[in-house]
Amino acid sequence: METSLHRDAGFWVMIAIGLALLVAGPLVWDLFQIMQITQYVVLSVYVLSLSYIWGFGGILSFGQAAFFGLGAYTFSVASINMGETTFPFLLAFGLPALFGAALGYFMFYGKLSDVYMGVVTMVVTLIFWKLINHTAGPEYAIGDARLGGFNGIPSVPVLNVPGKPEAWLDPGQMFQVFMAILVILYIVLRTLIASDFGRVSLGIRENETRAALLGYDVRRHKVIVFAIGAGIAGMAGGMWATYQTFVDPNVFSLEMSAKALIWTMAGGVGTLAGPIIAVVVLQYLSLKLGEMHVLNNNFILGGIMMVLVLLVPKGGLPTLRDALVALKARTPAALQR
Amino acid sequence: MSEPTPILTTEKLVMQFGGVTAVDHVDFSLNPGELRCLLGPNGAGKSTFFKCLTGQLKPTSGTIRLNGQDITGWETHAIVNLGVGIKTQVPNLFDGLSAYENIRMAARRRHLKPMAKERAEEMLEKCGITHLARREVGLLAHGQRQLVELATVLAPAPALVLLDEPAAGMTGAERDRLADLVLETARRAAVVVVEHDMAFIRRIAKFTTVFNRGAIFREAMIGDIMTDRAVQEIYLGKQADVAA
Repeated sequence: METSLHRDAGFWVMIAIGLALLVAGPLVWDLFQIMQITQYVVLSVYVLSLSYIWGFGGILSFGQAAFFGLGAYTFSVASINMGETTFPFLLAFGLPALFGAALGYFMFYGKLSDVYMGVVTMVVTLIFWKLINHTAGPEYAIGDARLGGFNGIPSVPVLNVPGKPEAWLDPGQMFQVFMAILVILYIVLRTLIASDFGRVSLGIRENETRAALLGYDVRRHKVIVFAIGAGIAGMAGGMWATYQTFVDPNVFSLEMSAKALIWTMAGGVGTLAGPIIAVVVLQYLSLKLGEMHVLNNNFILGGIMMVLVLLVPKGGLPTLRDALVALKARTPAALQR
Repeated sequence: MSEPTPILTTEKLVMQFGGVTAVDHVDFSLNPGELRCLLGPNGAGKSTFFKCLTGQLKPTSGTIRLNGQDITGWETHAIVNLGVGIKTQVPNLFDGLSAYENIRMAARRRHLKPMAKERAEEMLEKCGITHLARREVGLLAHGQRQLVELATVLAPAPALVLLDEPAAGMTGAERDRLADLVLETARRAAVVVVEHDMAFIRRIAKFTTVFNRGAIFREAMIGDIMTDRAVQEIYLGKQADVAA
């Protein structure tokens, strides 16, 4: 737990895998595979937004989709109006982060209990979803961008090279940029978690009273953590919009919020690598199940989820880690026999 | 010699829960470097009074001053940052973290990184829990947890230390160590101890405040308190006879 970051083998392994995929991916995959894997990368960025605030800040949010959707729409509207994507991309982080800070301010300074926090975050998501669904008329436009209600916004610009609005990224390049974002995000979050700020977050997760008794301002700290998570979710939303070149109200759906929870739980609360692995495995699984047309996709995924919660309540990665530790502890004794 | 300026005072402090007045117009004063014990039967208002001092409860009326500054209704962390160390009745610790990390984080609030590390190791040794440094505190025995919490309270070297039932759940040896630690702390800081354990009280107490029904019932040296008939009647009862 207290081994320093640069001595943690898992940290370097994850970075190595990320960089290897970044370099080799576009060379070995075909276009369809690249598109598919880019989707996993975007959703991995999204899941990290929750894995960080829940696993390392003790904040359980049922409304990450609110920030995801806000980021997606922010990016779409801003890039359509500005004709380039660099500043809109930054805005896709900044605006949801600000909104997260404001929402967090009312929740944490209002000392809401965890249950009510869950309700509030969920209701905020629903409000966004309802609201954006009712913007179908032509009067609902921000500059050149018509919000389009339940039809969504078509032809969201593809990411361009900063400063060159005409230089669109091809799918291979977009994958590489997104992969780089994921790797950097992973490094930033791990560094943040290992810092004194991150240690205080862990302390607040363990015992808010003690954190306050040590002189740490729990409310302010939680607002900051929540806002960082909101910003990351928003950035993922922006990535989602430009990846699909399309955005509709489903980015605000409860399903989107639930998926972040499911991936984090399946991968293991309190890890970052676990939820990323869960995204890849569960998304791949639901793709394959969808192709088979045998049983309802959600039905099978729900079943898998129940089995996971019952059999590996700690989540995939922590369970694996415990098993490895147990195996290591048992091996010498076995050799003696 | 003039009276020293008190480090902590309360004036007409009142805390009501609905129709119940748990703390009833309490005027309390503590001098710098003083060790004060708060006694009283269950429900006397000691813990409520204590929670008002630490900002965990907002008093209904009255004022609390720390070094002359009005801190009534302040948030806990703000009070702590004025140099107050607080140990709660039920140990509040970061259960998933090691004893060392708990104490280091307490020290880190006031010291730079290398200093905090040094200070944490020093506190582990002083509290006799060096052997527990790497253990997860959630898995420790109650008495051990009490010592870890005491170490976190003392790590930032506070000028005022508030301890709520620090000896609860301790073995005889742990209690003796605790008494030595409290006496040693009192040489550098003002200390308020809320406690039930009479054996512990007799080892450390000097000037003592007795609470009853939310108000201060007596303030006197512990020897006089122990022989005070009225105090015995409300609280000490048989325990005092045994201790004497």
